[in-house]
Amino acid sequence: MEDSIATATGHGQVQVYFSTNSPDIELPEEKRQLRVPTDVRRYGLSQILNSESMLDTSAPIPFDFLINGTFLRTTIDEYLVANGLSSETTLNLQYVRSLIPPLYEASFEHDDWVSCVDVLSGSSAAGKWSGKTVSAGQERILSGSYDGLLRIWNKSGQVIATSTSSSAGGHTSSIKSAKFISSTQIASAGLDRTVRIWKYSEVEDGFSGELKPTLELYGHKAGIDSIDVHGPSSRILTASTDGMIGLWTTQKASAPAVNTSLLNSGPTAKRRKLTTSTSTTQRGPLSLISSHTAPVSAVIFNPLDATVGYSASHDHTIRTFDLATSTVVDTRTTSHPLLSLSALPGISTQLLAAGTSARHITLLDPRISASSTQVMTLRGHTNKIVSLSPDPESNYGLVSGSHDGTCRVWDLRSSRQGTKDEGNGLVGEAVYVVERDSQKDQAKRPVGGEGIKVFGVSWDKDVGIVSAGEDKMVQINRGRGVTRAENS
Amino acid sequence: MAPSTLDRKRKAVTRDVPEHSDIESEAEFGDGLLEGILSQSEDSEGDSGDEEEDSEDEEAEELDELEALDSDEIPSENGEAEADGLNGDSVNSKSAQDMVKSILGDQQTLEDEQDIPNYTVVADANGGERYVYEEINPVYDSDDSDAAVAENTIGNIPLSFYDSYPHIGYDINGKKILRPAKGEALDALLDSIDIPKGWTGLTDPATGKPLNLSQDELEILRRIQTNELPEDGYDPYPATVEYFTGIEEKMPLSAAPEPKRRFLPSKHEAKRVMKIVRAIREGRIMPYRPPEEQKEEDEEVHYDIWQDEQPRPDHVMNIPAPKMAPPGYDMSYNPPPEYLPTKAEKQAWESTDAEDREKEYLPTSYDSLRKVPGYEKFINERFERSLDLYLAPRVRKNRLNIDPASLLPKLPRPEELKPFPTVCSTLFRGHEGRVRSLAIDPSGVWLASGGDDGTVRVWELLTGRQLWSAKIGDDEAVNVVRWRPGRDAVILSAGAGEDIYLLAPPIVDPETDAASREILDHGFGHATNATQTLTANGARKEPVAKWTRPGTRLEDEGVLIKITVRTTVKVISWHRRGDFFSTVSPTAQRSAVAIHTLSKHLTQIPFRRLPGIAQTVQFHPSRPLFFVATQRTIRSYDLQKQELVKIIQPGARWISSFDIHPGGDNLIVGSYDRRLLWHDLDLSTRPYKTMRFHNKAIRAVKYHKGGFPLFADASDDGSLQIFHGKVVSDLMENATIVPVKVLKGHKVKSALGVMDIDWHPKEPWCVSAGADERET
Repeated sequence: MEDSIATATGHGQVQVYFSTNSPDIELPEEKRQLRVPTDVRRYGLSQILNSESMLDTSAPIPFDFLINGTFLRTTIDEYLVANGLSSETTLNLQYVRSLIPPLYEASFEHDDWVSCVDVLSGSSAAGKWSGKTVSAGQERILSGSYDGLLRIWNKSGQVIATSTSSSAGGHTSSIKSAKFISSTQIASAGLDRTVRIWKYSEVEDGFSGELKPTLELYGHKAGIDSIDVHGPSSRILTASTDGMIGLWTTQKASAPAVNTSLLNSGPTAKRRKLTTSTSTTQRGPLSLISSHTAPVSAVIFNPLDATVGYSASHDHTIRTFDLATSTVVDTRTTSHPLLSLSALPGISTQLLAAGTSARHITLLDPRISASSTQVMTLRGHTNKIVSLSPDPESNYGLVSGSHDGTCRVWDLRSSRQGTKDEGNGLVGEAVYVVERDSQKDQAKRPVGGEGIKVFGVSWDKDVGIVSAGEDKMVQINRGRGVTRAENS
Repeated sequence: MAPSTLDRKRKAVTRDVPEHSDIESEAEFGDGLLEGILSQSEDSEGDSGDEEEDSEDEEAEELDELEALDSDEIPSENGEAEADGLNGDSVNSKSAQDMVKSILGDQQTLEDEQDIPNYTVVADANGGERYVYEEINPVYDSDDSDAAVAENTIGNIPLSFYDSYPHIGYDINGKKILRPAKGEALDALLDSIDIPKGWTGLTDPATGKPLNLSQDELEILRRIQTNELPEDGYDPYPATVEYFTGIEEKMPLSAAPEPKRRFLPSKHEAKRVMKIVRAIREGRIMPYRPPEEQKEEDEEVHYDIWQDEQPRPDHVMNIPAPKMAPPGYDMSYNPPPEYLPTKAEKQAWESTDAEDREKEYLPTSYDSLRKVPGYEKFINERFERSLDLYLAPRVRKNRLNIDPASLLPKLPRPEELKPFPTVCSTLFRGHEGRVRSLAIDPSGVWLASGGDDGTVRVWELLTGRQLWSAKIGDDEAVNVVRWRPGRDAVILSAGAGEDIYLLAPPIVDPETDAASREILDHGFGHATNATQTLTANGARKEPVAKWTRPGTRLEDEGVLIKITVRTTVKVISWHRRGDFFSTVSPTAQRSAVAIHTLSKHLTQIPFRRLPGIAQTVQFHPSRPLFFVATQRTIRSYDLQKQELVKIIQPGARWISSFDIHPGGDNLIVGSYDRRLLWHDLDLSTRPYKTMRFHNKAIRAVKYHKGGFPLFADASDDGSLQIFHGKVVSDLMENATIVPVKVLKGHKVKSALGVMDIDWHPKEPWCVSAGADERET
C-alpha cells in the first residue's frame, strides 16, 4: 500500500526516446522507446542503456544524455519540474559517449615557465604523418620553456632529450611554440625571432635521445608567438608579434636564402659571442604575409586542406589565407583581441574556435558563404585564453588553457541561449575544469592567475590533456575508465 | 505759579475773543497755552538759555503776528473793494491797477481789457521779474455781514499739524496766518499794562459799561476755584434739631377699649375653612395630584436640529489636525525592562533642559495600575497640544511629484560603454620596493617599469614575463620611464636621480636595434658644438646638462646615453615626433623644465622663471603647444611664436598630473587634493567637470590614446577609476563623462597606493604601478 503511494507521488515513470548520432552504439528501432523511472540520474540511464536488454556492451560505456541540447545533470524528475514539463510527455534523450572527468595523472617539472606542449603518439597528427611508427606506450611529450630549451619526455616523466643551449645552436631566447613535424622532426620558435628545425633521434631502448638543430629560419622582426606544421608538405606557419605570418619549408633545398641583416649580428659583444658557434644552416621564409595590423597571436593550417591557413590576431580579426599564393582570402572581424586559434574539423560545418582576451572562446564559421560570423560563445574562463586544442575523440569537444590557471573542457552540444549581457547567441559552458595540480593546496585561485597561468594545452587521444604553465610544470590529466578499458 | 498761569489764561481769552470768534481758534489757543505751561515747567528745571532763545523767537513771531494782523486787514478792505467791483457787474482791476500804480508809479498806462492776466510783473530787489498776483475776493452769497468769515483755509484738519510752524494756516489768498502771540512774551506785554482790579475786558450788556468785578465777586470766584462753598458763612453740617423723641411715654395717647374682633374668632374665616374641609371630604379637592399623571403631562419634547444634516465633503482648505502618535511600549505603566532608562540615561534626562529633552517623559515601571500616580503634566500637555494646533499654521504643502530618479542626469549604463578594463588579468612581479613609473611601448607588446630598486625592467605585456632588466640607479630610485614615440626605433628613457638614461633594450631584431642606436648616437657631434657655444656665450656657466656615455657595463646592457642635469628628474614627456623630450625637476629653481633635443644632444631651459613649482609638462598631441603645470595652474605656450597662449586654472591646490586628450581640445587634471578635473580648452579656463570620487590624492591621470573614449586615474587609496569620456567633434555638444569602473587590487603601503598608470595603445587595457605590485 505504502509502496504504491510512493510510486504514485515520487517515483513516477516517463516515456523516453533514446537516440544517438554514433552509429556504432545505435539501439535497434524497437528498443528506443522506453518508460524509465523519473528519479534516475545520468548514471542510472547509462546503466539502463548498458544493460543486457538494451545495448549489451561487453564493458559498460558511460553515456551522457542530452535533452534539448543540454546535458542532463539532475534527475529526470527535477529536469521536468525545472522546465515545467508534465511527466506524460515523451523525452527525447540523445545519448553520447560520456566525457570522462580528466583526472590528474602526472606533472613534469621544469626550470622555467613552460610555454607550449605537443604530443607525439600514434593518434596525433605528427604520429599519423610519420607512419605507424609510434607504438602505444612510446608516446613522447614535447615541451618548450622560457629558458630557451626544448625537452622531450616520455609518459613516465623522464627527460629523453633536451635541446642544445644557445651557444650550441639552440634558441637564444624563450621558446614560445614548438611542434612535432614527425616522429623525428621538431619545429620550435620563440622570442629570438627564429624558427628552428630539430632532428630528433632516439636510442633503441627509448630512454635517451638527441635533439640536433638542423635549420634556422630567419625572417620575423619580432618574437614568434605561434607555430603550426604540416608534415606531408613540410610547411611551417608562424605568427609573429610584428604582425607578419611566415610560411616556411623545412627542406633546406627549397628554402630561400636568408636576409643577412636579420641575422643576430648585433653590436654587443655578448651577442656576438652567442652566435659564434652557429654551424646550422640558415634560411629565409617562403613568404611573409603582412596583413594584420597588430601582433598575430596564432596561426593554423586547415586540418583538411594544407593550402589554407587561418590566423588570429590582436587586431580582432581572423584571416583566411591561401597559402599557395600567400594572399588573404577572407577577414572575419570579432570584437576582441584574439589570442589563440584552433580548428574543429569534425563538425559538418568547418568551425574555428578562437580564444580572446575578453575571457571567452568565440566559435566562427570561416567559410566565405557563412552568413553569421559568430556561431557560439564559450564562457567561463576568468582570464585570457591563450591555448586551444580540439578533442581527438569527439567532434564536439574542446579544451582551452587560460591565464586564470585552469584548463576547461567544453562540449559544443551543451549550449543555451545567451543573455543580453552576453550578446545573445548561443553560449556554452565548461563541462570540466582542470585545475593546476601545483595549486591544489590553495583554496582560492590567485588574482590574475599569478603563478599558475596556463600557456599551452594539447589534447591527445593516448596521453590525455597535457597542459603547461607558469608553475613550471607540464601537467597531464586524463579521463580514466572506459578509454583505458578499450586500450587494454 | 498756577494762579498766575490761570490769570494769564483768562487774560488771553479776554483779549482773543473779539478777534477770533470761532471756536477753533479758541481751542487752538488753549492748546498753545498748555504747551507754554509745559515748556515753562520744563524750563524751570534747566535750559534757561534755550528759553531765552525761545523767547527771542517768540518775540520775532510776535512782530510777524503784528504784521499779519495788519495784513489781515488789507484783504478785508480789498474784499470790500472787490465786492464793489462785482456790484458794478464788471470784473475790473481797479484795485490791482491801483496797486501797480502805487508800486510802479506812472510807468505804464493800462487800458480796461477783459483778458488781462491776473498778475502783474514787477521788478524785485534783484532786478528780476516778479509776478504779483491780485488778491482773491471770495464771493459769499450772503448779506449777513455778521457771519464769521472762514479765514483759515486749511480745512478740517487738526491744528496740531501746524505745531511746528510759526503759522497756523493760510488765508484765502494763500498768505500765512501767523500764530498769535502767546506765552511769556504776551505775558510780559500784558504785565506791563496796568490793569485795574476786577477788570474783565467785557462789556456789561445791561449797562453798556465795562464790566468790572467787585471784591465780593472776585472772592466768590476764588472760592469756586478752590472748591470751597461760594457763600461765606454757610455751614453744611449744622447740629440736628430733635423734633420727635423715641422715649415711650408713661401714659397711652388713647384710652379706647380693645375691639371685640381682637379676641373673637372670625365666623367668616370658619365658614371658608369649612367650605374647603367639605370639598376635601367630598373629594372635590385632592390633597395632591398623582405623580404618574404629572409625569405624563410633563413629557419633554426634544428637537434634533441636525436630523436633516447631510454629510458634506470637507472644505478644500480644511486640513485635519495631525494625530498624535499612539503611545508606545515605553509609555506603559509597566514597560518591558529594555525600555526602562538606565541610571545614566535618567541622569542625563534630568540634567537636560525641559525643552531640549528628546522625550517628554521618563518611562517608569509600576507594579500595578492602581499605584500609578496622577499625571501631573496632563493640563500642561493638553495646553501644549492646543497651542501647537492653534499656533502652528497648517498649510497644504505642494508636494512635488517628481521621481527622484528622473532628476539624475541621463547617463548611459556602464554595460553599454564596453569595452573598458574590468578585471586584473596579469600581475608583473619582480620589482623590489615600490614601482614608481611604467609605460607601454608604442606597439603595445612591451611594458617598461622603473622602481625604487633602481632597475628598469621590460616585460612581455601579455604574459607578465620579464624580458630584460637593467640597474641604472645605483642607490636612487627610477622615478620615471617613458618610451620614445614612433615605431621606427625602440628607445626607452628613464630618469633616476639627476640622470636621464636613454636605453635601447636588446629585445628587438637587429635592424630596429641598429636604428635605435643610430638615433641615439647621432647627436654626439652636435653635443660638443652646443657646449662650446654655451660656454662662449655665458663664460662662467656650466652647461645645464651633460650628455655622456654611461660606461661599458651599462652600455653592454643596452643603456646608451646618460644625461646629467642639476636636480632630480621626476617627469619625462616626449614630443610626438620622438626628437624632443622634456623633463621636469620640480626642486630646481630655474632649470625646472628642460627640453632636450635627441638628434643634437642639446638641452635647453625654456623658462628662466616659473610662477610656482613645476609639476609636469606635456607636448600637445598635434599642435606646437607646450603645456607646463605648476602647482595651481597649467600654462600652454606656443613653441613657434614663443609666447604664452593660455593659462588654465583647474582650481586644484596642488596638481599632480595632467593629460591631454588625443584630440587636443580637452585636458584632464589630477590633483593631490583628490580631485579629477576635466577641462575643455575651447570653453573656459575653468574646469568643465570636477570629479571627487577618491578619498586620497590622485597620482596620475591618463587618456586612452588609441581610439577608445576612456581615461583613468590612479589614487593613493589603492584604486583606479576608469571613466568613459567621449569627446564629440560637434562643438555644440559637451563631452560625456561616465564613471564606469573602479579597479581595486593595489595595497596601500606607507600611504602610497597606485603610483602610475598607462593605457595600451590600442586595446582597452590599462596598467598601473603600485607601491606593491602592478596589474593589467
